[in-house]
Amino acid sequence: MHLIVGVKHVPDADTRLRVDPSGTTYDPDGVKFTINNTYDEATLEESLRLKDGNPGTTVHVVSVGPPRAEEGLRAALAMGADEATLVEVGTGTELDPLLTARLLAAVIRGIPHDLVLVGRQAADDEAGQVGSALGHYLGLPSAGYVTGLEVDPASKRLHIKRYVEGGEETLGMEFPAVLSILKGANDPRTPTLPNILKARRKPLRKVPVGDLLPALETWPGGAKPTSRVTAFQLPPPRAGAKILEYTSPEEAAGKLLAALREEAKVL
Amino acid sequence: MTIGFELTPEQRDLQALAVKFAREEMEPRAAECDRKGLFPEDIYRKAWELGLMNLNVPTEYGGSGLPLLDQCLITEALAHACGGMTTSILANCLALQPINLGGTPAQKERFLRPFCAQYHLASFALTEPSGGSDAGALRTRAVREGDTYILDGEKCFITNAPHASLFTVFATVDPQRKHEGITAFVVPRDSPGLTTGRDEDKMGQRASSTSTVRFEGVRVPVENRLGAEGEGFRLAMKTLDSTRTPIGSLAVGIAQAALDHAVRYAQQRTSFGKPIAEHQAIAMKLANMAQGISAARLLTWHSAWLVDQGDRATLESSMAKCFSSDMAMTVCDEAIQIFGGYGYMRDFPVEKLLRDAKLCQIYEGANEIQRLVIARELLKRYA
Ligand SMILES: Cc1cc2nc3c(=O)[nH]c(=O)nc-3n(C[C@H](O)[C@H](O)[C@H](O)COP(=O)(O)OP(=O)(O)OC[C@H]3O[C@@H](n4cnc5c(N)ncnc54)[C@H](O)[C@@H]3O)c2cc1C
Repeated sequence: MHLIVGVKHVPDADTRLRVDPSGTTYDPDGVKFTINNTYDEATLEESLRLKDGNPGTTVHVVSVGPPRAEEGLRAALAMGADEATLVEVGTGTELDPLLTARLLAAVIRGIPHDLVLVGRQAADDEAGQVGSALGHYLGLPSAGYVTGLEVDPASKRLHIKRYVEGGEETLGMEFPAVLSILKGANDPRTPTLPNILKARRKPLRKVPVGDLLPALETWPGGAKPTSRVTAFQLPPPRAGAKILEYTSPEEAAGKLLAALREEAKVL
Repeated sequence: MTIGFELTPEQRDLQALAVKFAREEMEPRAAECDRKGLFPEDIYRKAWELGLMNLNVPTEYGGSGLPLLDQCLITEALAHACGGMTTSILANCLALQPINLGGTPAQKERFLRPFCAQYHLASFALTEPSGGSDAGALRTRAVREGDTYILDGEKCFITNAPHASLFTVFATVDPQRKHEGITAFVVPRDSPGLTTGRDEDKMGQRASSTSTVRFEGVRVPVENRLGAEGEGFRLAMKTLDSTRTPIGSLAVGIAQAALDHAVRYAQQRTSFGKPIAEHQAIAMKLANMAQGISAARLLTWHSAWLVDQGDRATLESSMAKCFSSDMAMTVCDEAIQIFGGYGYMRDFPVEKLLRDAKLCQIYEGANEIQRLVIARELLKRYA
């Protein structure tokens, strides 16, 4: 079985972002990037578990991103993926989620794939569009909000658990297919020291975005983004904390209760 | 040749792994293990699972096979979270190095491979109650009887001994011959007559475990002897030449933690209307601490680099160990001073750092002995 996993190199959750001078994105300067965004990491772990359970399975990680995204792919290789492809974009290239999906589809077409797995959404732009668009561009069935996954390679059938509002749905599908993963069953593994060293020697192919764009001209949507971010703002700073004045513990507890009940409305 | 200080992508990856392990697994438990003197074996097991334990054993025998510089990077990162746990994680490197250096391929196959394939701890047993610095005068006897040696004697202050499954032991086949009689053996824990004492109640590094080891008529087959009779002293010294440098890194890691705490505290704590970091006396302390740490780190990197080039680096490794551990004591002392009264309290993290750092001046050759070595090497160069 050949699994393809799409990952995105995104700012670490602990990083404080600043708006860049263009006002349409964050300033990448000084930002620590990672693939450890909940959805991608869970997707990768889910794929590696399929690999562990089904001998002969390979995991190929694919990313569209700037040169630094190579480090994200190396981290995926250290977790246990077998090979990697980076669609390398320069700082001048404008992307939107659908163009990203077309670029991914263009490279994935050239790689054997039984299952294509992506995180439900990227932790930076949270657009959540790549999974279903990828199914569309690859001409494959797709399912989203996947929370559990069983594969029968012999019959090429999948049993999928999906999150639905207020419950869970079990779905039977045939592959090849595209799945976007909401969460995995297991904690993502920490790469071991020998695997980290091995990851540097695993194959990592770089495809300049310019090699793919001409072919996209004839695709629906074409080789240009169809949406553009016009403004990017940080959330307004939160209102300051309120300090209660009191003279006795009883009074403090009473005032606190009242505040929680009437102002914060959490009780 | 050029000098490069830039780490390779692999080295940065290894460092990141160690930093993550230190932050997520070690640090949250460090204070409790220190207070209660707990030996967190689950953490050591995880370290082994990730490949952070047998760093110096060649990969062909199941170790991580890292150059010394990489070992130092990992050691510093781990020690930032807990010096005691780091000592216990590093103890395998010390105990197995005599086998790496002095074992035959058959011995490496027999001892290292099964040892590294599972979680196991090993201990390096050189020091004796009658003296550690004068290792040539050790008293544990090894008497040959046919195809076995019979070991009798006692070792003390042996790291991880209560939990170790393998010991590298230094004993003498003839006390009259002093250094020339010392011989190295690999002794499995289950050898009849081998017992370990109670866990010592230590000043610091309390997440590590330390005890005596007694040998009473312990029979050790000749195949477990490392090298020839009388080669043990040289083997011990060669071992320590390569394990001293990481002790320097361990001290640097502790000192860096002290500086990190001190800077953060000094920026928050105010007196006379401003953060204490803006009082020049405190700012000067921070500057001195940072300088000491940088100098010590570079000494450890240089020494490790020399060892990785195949150099003996006796002088440089002694400097790295001695300077770094003295520096760490000064830096931890200053960190406590910057914390004022809170620094003296167990609820704050800095007094532990001082207690942990102190050991680095004592073990793997006390600093007085390091200075003797440095002076001897120095004087040779002027002879
Ligand atoms: C927590 C801990 C863990 C340890 N782990 C291990 C281990 O795993 N394996 C192991 O084999 N050992 C271990 N040791 C032992 C350690 O290496 C010795 O304590 C150290 O070598 C000093 O020996 P000593 O304690 O007998 O002191 P001594 O040798 O008695 O020295 C006492 C003092 O005199 C000084 N001194 C001695 N000779 C001279 C001289 N010629 N000139 C100037 N000053 C001198 C020393 O520097 C020291 O300050 C450990 C020790 C501790 C505390």
